[in-house]
Amino acid sequence: MLETNIITILIATLIIIYLAAMLLTKMQKARQLEQEAEELKKSLDNMDEQAKIIVRTDIELNRIQEELDKKISGLYALQRLSHSISMTLVEDQIFQRLSPEYIDELGFEKSLVFLWDKKSGAFLPKTALGYMEEEKELISSHLNGNKEKFLSLIEEDKTLSSITTPDNFIDKNTLHSIFKANYFIMAPILPKQSECGFIFIGTGKTETLITEGDEELIKILATQLGQALENARLFEKTWNSQQELEEKVGARTQELTAALEEVKKMNKRKTDFVSSVSHELRTPLTSIKGYAAILLTGKLGEIPAEAKQRLEKINRHSDELGHIVNELLDISRIESGKVTMSLEPCDLREVINKIEDLLSGQLKEKKINLDILIPPNDFRILIDQTQIGRVFINLVGNAMKFTPAEGKISISAKKIEGLIQIDVSDTGCGIPQEAKDSIFEEFFRVENTINQEVKGTGLGLALVKRIIEAHQGRIWVDSIMGKGTTFSFTLPQG
Amino acid sequence: MQIGVGFSSNNDHIKATQEAFNKAASAINRRRPDLALLFNTIKLNHPLVLKTIRDSLEDIPLLGLSSPSIIVNQGSYKNGLAIALFSFPEDIYFNTTCVKEISGDNASASGEELGEDLLYGCKGIRRNLSIIFLDGQIPEGRNIIFGMQKRVGRSFPMVGASTLGPIYFNNSILNNAACGILFGGKLNFGLGVKHGWQPLGKPRRVTLSLGNTALEIDNKPAARLYQEYFAMDNASLRNDLKHIAPFYPLGIDISGKKEYLLRSLSSIDESGSLAFNGDMPQGSRIRLMISSKDYCLESARQAAELAKKGLRNQKAKFVLVFNSLARSRLLGRQENIEIEAINKVFGADVPILGAYTLAEQAPLNSTDYLGMPYFHNNSIAILAMAG
Repeated sequence: MLETNIITILIATLIIIYLAAMLLTKMQKARQLEQEAEELKKSLDNMDEQAKIIVRTDIELNRIQEELDKKISGLYALQRLSHSISMTLVEDQIFQRLSPEYIDELGFEKSLVFLWDKKSGAFLPKTALGYMEEEKELISSHLNGNKEKFLSLIEEDKTLSSITTPDNFIDKNTLHSIFKANYFIMAPILPKQSECGFIFIGTGKTETLITEGDEELIKILATQLGQALENARLFEKTWNSQQELEEKVGARTQELTAALEEVKKMNKRKTDFVSSVSHELRTPLTSIKGYAAILLTGKLGEIPAEAKQRLEKINRHSDELGHIVNELLDISRIESGKVTMSLEPCDLREVINKIEDLLSGQLKEKKINLDILIPPNDFRILIDQTQIGRVFINLVGNAMKFTPAEGKISISAKKIEGLIQIDVSDTGCGIPQEAKDSIFEEFFRVENTINQEVKGTGLGLALVKRIIEAHQGRIWVDSIMGKGTTFSFTLPQG
Repeated sequence: MQIGVGFSSNNDHIKATQEAFNKAASAINRRRPDLALLFNTIKLNHPLVLKTIRDSLEDIPLLGLSSPSIIVNQGSYKNGLAIALFSFPEDIYFNTTCVKEISGDNASASGEELGEDLLYGCKGIRRNLSIIFLDGQIPEGRNIIFGMQKRVGRSFPMVGASTLGPIYFNNSILNNAACGILFGGKLNFGLGVKHGWQPLGKPRRVTLSLGNTALEIDNKPAARLYQEYFAMDNASLRNDLKHIAPFYPLGIDISGKKEYLLRSLSSIDESGSLAFNGDMPQGSRIRLMISSKDYCLESARQAAELAKKGLRNQKAKFVLVFNSLARSRLLGRQENIEIEAINKVFGADVPILGAYTLAEQAPLNSTDYLGMPYFHNNSIAILAMAG
């Protein structure tokens, strides 16, 4: 019994010890769990604190990103708007380009442009987006009620906005109520040489914030508008001037055409007159010359020596007069188109050879060397041989006249753009610069000692010019005083 | 099935409508369409656009919505309209309806009415999908979905959008209304919805809530959570709501689901309660959520892949996208990268029609076909159709 009790007590003791140990272990575990829970809670709290840092940083980043996005969008819109504005030179179209899409991209929904009109002494609206007609008129009347203030603001190139209002200006709340906008920017438009104005951009939204960056953006837009306006006005001015000039040129052209017609008529009358007079002169001249010749033969009786001398003079002067009359007749015939050129292809060298034969005696007599620098068969020309022969005779004859003994005359040719250019050069006294333009005029003679000694009609070069022009050619002269002269002319290729 | 999408951003709204309609009509080879969807940006002249398109469509059913931005293959547009024209084969059926004058009080009943009307005439036909457009300004809008689910079934596949502007139904431009389409027959489609927001900080519990409003979190005024995280007092929080709400929603832990269901803030009460764009059930375990552009883009790609997977190897013929306005805010100037990712998944030749929305409706996990559609925030919901 005792043993049983002892065993029972022992077992109970052991159980108690075991339970106590278990309890101890559990308590330790509970303490451990509690500690772990505490650590977990602490970790969670730490994590939450870190989350707060992350969230606060993130919201700042988002704000910056949004502001950056807004700026970039604004810049893109400004760039496209500037491009669009600069593409027109019509004043009214400039403001039409301020479309709601662009204003929206700039971050606003209301836009106004007013320009100062000197004539009426008032601000006139040019565009109004986001406003009803009556609202526009109301703004216009408020604006003109305070026009001095707004004008001085513009002239001082000051920007007005819901964040910057100059001292002594209309207070912000009044401006908000005038323009019906919670946030706005107003920038002056200042073209250099014309009336000024301003652009107003605003929003009725309450959450929009205006930054200095927005102010800068609208200032740039206002400058662009000013420049576009300036360009448009300059263009209009230039356009009007051009129109005026064109009208003047048109009127003057008409006058000149009429004058030219008159000159042509007069020229024809002159040609007709010269032709008719020349014809009329030729008949009595032939009679004079005929009678003089008969008298000189002595068939009508012996004539005294003095009378004979006079008769010879009459005969010689009649020849000269006849020559003049013939050249005048030729000129007038060519001018009036009565002479048709019988064009035929021929070799230039051959034409010149004939001239050389004709003039060789005189050349020899004057001891002048004629150099023909044109090989045979190299230059085919389409000419009236008789007329071009006269050209060469005149030009070479002139050269001979003004080239001293032992001098040289040369004739050369070259092909230029489908034409043959012929140069007749001499080593004569040359032509003064001031005479160059007149030498092809009828009866013009260069004032020099040779001309005073040698007689001439002053019609030779005029005739040469008419003949060349009748061949669709051109003649001109280059000369250096004391060194020589070159007459150049063109003829069609054969 | 032929589906064509036409888009125009012409400033002349009549011309824009005609241009978009003609493009869509050409894409379906000028066949008479059976159904039309019209997505419009808010700034357009809605009556003029609707009248112009009705002149072309005659009596063909039309549903539509308006949004600050619409989505097409080329990207997102703040000014323009897009029209989708559908020509279905004989083995695809659909029914359209609309419920008007919905308020917070009758939202559930209106949802039931919407479901009932959609089911009308569909007895004995295999029903497989509904598309819903809700006016996002209706308070307790999620109750419309709950009400509708009572009629069509809680796990019936649904994709929907709560819009910022009015919705269209045939000849009407409607506010405080919901309209929908119910498809039946052999329609092959795939759905994908993702958000890309990740939990941050320690979990908390909504200890007192009423509908969309959380009154207390962890037995403290609900706003305290945001006050602590952002180190702002209540007034500052309210002033800065525009910056906080789209980026930092709360995520509701849904048992059995991997993803959190997002709820974005719609307002903060002076008393410290938080109102959300969607219900906030009492007892929910919640976390503050955060995302980045990369996560956002990846979630769009995943949603597109999920929708594509649902087509069972058939090439998509049309992609419908409802994308949260919050995502547009997060991506900023890069918002088109999501559309590029969707184009890449389906192929650039597959027409896309989409809109930015206040809230999206879709099953939380589309791979779980019996998944119940939820009311989402900050998410991208993609529906792909093939056949």
